[in-house]
Amino acid sequence: MAGVDAGGTRFTARWGFLSPLARGQYAALAWIQTRMFFNGLRTRRGSVELGARILSFFVFSAIAIGPSIGLGIGAYIGASHGLRLAPAVLLWVLFLAWQFFAALAPALAGQNPELSHLLRYPVSFGTWLVLFLVYGLAAPSTLIGLLWATAIGIGVTVARPDLFAWTALTLALFVFFNLLLSRMILAWIERWLAQRRTREIVTAIFLFLALGAQALNPAFHQSGHTPLYGIGRQKPLHLPSRVWNVQRVFPPGLAADSIFQAMQHHPLKGAEDMGWLGLYVFGAGGLLALRLRSESRGENLSEAPRRSTKTRSRARSRALLDFSGPLAAVFEKDLRYLLRSGPMLYNLAAPLVMAVVFGGAMRGGKASSIRVEYALPIGMVWAFLGLTRLICNNLGAEGDGIQFYFLSPTPMRTVILGKNFFHLLLFLLEAVLVSGLVIFRFGLPAPSIAAATLAWLLFAIPANFAAGNLLSINMPYRVNMARIRRETGAMGNGLLSMLAQFGILAVGAAVLAPCAFLGHNWWPTPVLLVLAVVALFVYLRVLGNVDRMVQSRMESLTLEIMKTT
Amino acid sequence: MDSPAIAIRDLTRRFGTFTAVDNVTLNVSAGQFFGFLGPNGAGKSTTIKMMTGLLAPTSGHIELLGLDFATHPLEIKRQIGVVPEGLALFGRLTASEYLRFVGRMYGLDRTTTNSRTEELLDFMNLAGEPKKLVTDFSHGMQKKLALAAAVIHGPRILFLDEPFEGVDAIAAGTLKAMLQRMTERGATIFLTSHVLEIVERLCSHVAIIHQGRLVANGSLDELRAGVAASSAGVPGELVRGGGSLSGPQPEEKLTLEELFLRIVSGPGSENPEEAVQELSWLA
Repeated sequence: MAGVDAGGTRFTARWGFLSPLARGQYAALAWIQTRMFFNGLRTRRGSVELGARILSFFVFSAIAIGPSIGLGIGAYIGASHGLRLAPAVLLWVLFLAWQFFAALAPALAGQNPELSHLLRYPVSFGTWLVLFLVYGLAAPSTLIGLLWATAIGIGVTVARPDLFAWTALTLALFVFFNLLLSRMILAWIERWLAQRRTREIVTAIFLFLALGAQALNPAFHQSGHTPLYGIGRQKPLHLPSRVWNVQRVFPPGLAADSIFQAMQHHPLKGAEDMGWLGLYVFGAGGLLALRLRSESRGENLSEAPRRSTKTRSRARSRALLDFSGPLAAVFEKDLRYLLRSGPMLYNLAAPLVMAVVFGGAMRGGKASSIRVEYALPIGMVWAFLGLTRLICNNLGAEGDGIQFYFLSPTPMRTVILGKNFFHLLLFLLEAVLVSGLVIFRFGLPAPSIAAATLAWLLFAIPANFAAGNLLSINMPYRVNMARIRRETGAMGNGLLSMLAQFGILAVGAAVLAPCAFLGHNWWPTPVLLVLAVVALFVYLRVLGNVDRMVQSRMESLTLEIMKTT
Repeated sequence: MDSPAIAIRDLTRRFGTFTAVDNVTLNVSAGQFFGFLGPNGAGKSTTIKMMTGLLAPTSGHIELLGLDFATHPLEIKRQIGVVPEGLALFGRLTASEYLRFVGRMYGLDRTTTNSRTEELLDFMNLAGEPKKLVTDFSHGMQKKLALAAAVIHGPRILFLDEPFEGVDAIAAGTLKAMLQRMTERGATIFLTSHVLEIVERLCSHVAIIHQGRLVANGSLDELRAGVAASSAGVPGELVRGGGSLSGPQPEEKLTLEELFLRIVSGPGSENPEEAVQELSWLA
């Protein structure tokens, strides 16, 4: 490099992902992450963040441990009896759970790391790719998948110790494939969501899949098919040979067959399966690399249109809402932001899709009549959950613009009110969609339940906004509207917002449950209406104090929301 | 005598034990083009943030257009425009949407907001790409947009933190003309910049802050006189308390850069090239 003496650097070293330069970069990044972690603990916010992480670790552990025991026992029984079906079922369960949650629940996927800030350094593509995967290792979906795969491996090894090495190798390859696939899917989704046209296509596919899944469940019930959750109680499952043959060519089937062939002392056939699995690994890795190659070259994921030298026409920007004033200005700005943010729309839509997909499960089990009766209130709670991130961090997406609010003569109370109006509209939209789904699947709810649900909403909406405004001012974190990624500070805010949600839900349940127990189905409505008045009063108090709170927190708000990394 | 457009008294800001701004007192008359200079970390941006309501002072008093900032923040904000360090832009709006948003936030009616938006976009040469998001603008374009947003409501005082950084020469010329026209019409401009030639050309008065303290304040001629007096060992003062600076008339006409270096560097450290010579590994 002209003008630079590289004698003191390692520029002459190879550029591979294991070169001395790359190793130095890994060490530097590990060090900086450690320092950021410990430096973060200096603040109260950092401590809350750590507490939230520890708590979430236990929550995810509790979610993962039960199924892992089941998978381990299943693997043990399968290997003991030489059942061909067992490893296939177990690995398909692992595969589907991993990929499904990674794609639909970004909180579980851990989201993609933001590595663009590394572009200014001499980071090779190999190093970039390794870092991307290493960051992905910390995702809850990966950790849960690893735990489940380990449980399957232990089950097989306890039954057949001689298969330890083979099983470990096969499962390691399978886990690596899953890791690559989940990262690849998320990376491509993020890319597609960044452009308006592809965003529309993805949305259409989502809706199509959601409605398809919705239609699938009743179809299963009517045709007398054994539902998936009934497998354990039915006679042994015999998959049609066509289904069996089709599943064998996919990674879970290949991994399962590799283990089964090893059980039958057919190492060559097992190795062949592993070879095919290896090809899948290369395929997923290749697609991921293809995507990340553009990013590592500085691709901008925002939806900038191509520069056009022909079109110089100054199209007058149409106002989305034709009413003026600061309140409407904030409303309109937030609406534009949402419509331009694929990840935000995705976060809003994903819980709805999950509700649709898992809605069918509400019809099964002993307590199904109770669940069907309360489908509407449960649906409303679910609709709220989809908006929690927006309501409880309503300034997070402002970025550098947050300063403008402090400079403008508009009181922050007006700004927050505009945001609350906007989120109320979004919630109403979600509530209408969920209500439609509930009525479509379960029929009209009882009038007393409908009235109680409405009364609870009148309580929950102002209570949610009051809690959300407090959290938005006191525990904000910057949201990148163009990326699906975990933001620094999101854990602490997320934990407290979930606590608030559970509190609001608990109040509803505490009113509803005893009345239902005593058979007075109309009593909850007036009680909840009284609580609604209280909640409204609290909301107005919080709103009235917004300017004072923002004034005292202005510096930290600016710091948190404007920070770049 | 008219009250000054900007009057700050004993302004202090501490961050823990560190004092970023230390007892700064300053008056800027209406219609003045005022340059506020200082080395990196001297306290310029902190002072501007306090004067525009982005940062609360630890102590001291700020009065803009005769109004106390502590008691009339919103009335003041209606009459000032600011281009802050971070530009305060909303990245995911187009330039036109952003200006319309700003206009409405300042209480302008829709017709006025729309017509001013069009004018400003044309003036700033930003009208060519109506669908481009602010986040995809170059730094210079973002700066021009921030300037447009700062003036859309016709402010009486304009605070500019490094307004010409990253702006091309043609646009800089247009902007300078616009700012000078504003001062001719009675607006006050408070500007910080590291480009001292621009400050020298535009500003009628200059203040220099160093390590949080105001070390010089006055017209360029007054500063020259103060520096000359200081060099000659004649007791004089560089910071004006209201009257004119005292001291002998300067023999040579120092540029603002020379004045700045003499005031800020202090005796014995006037040759910054010495530091570079220490970096022996640089070719």
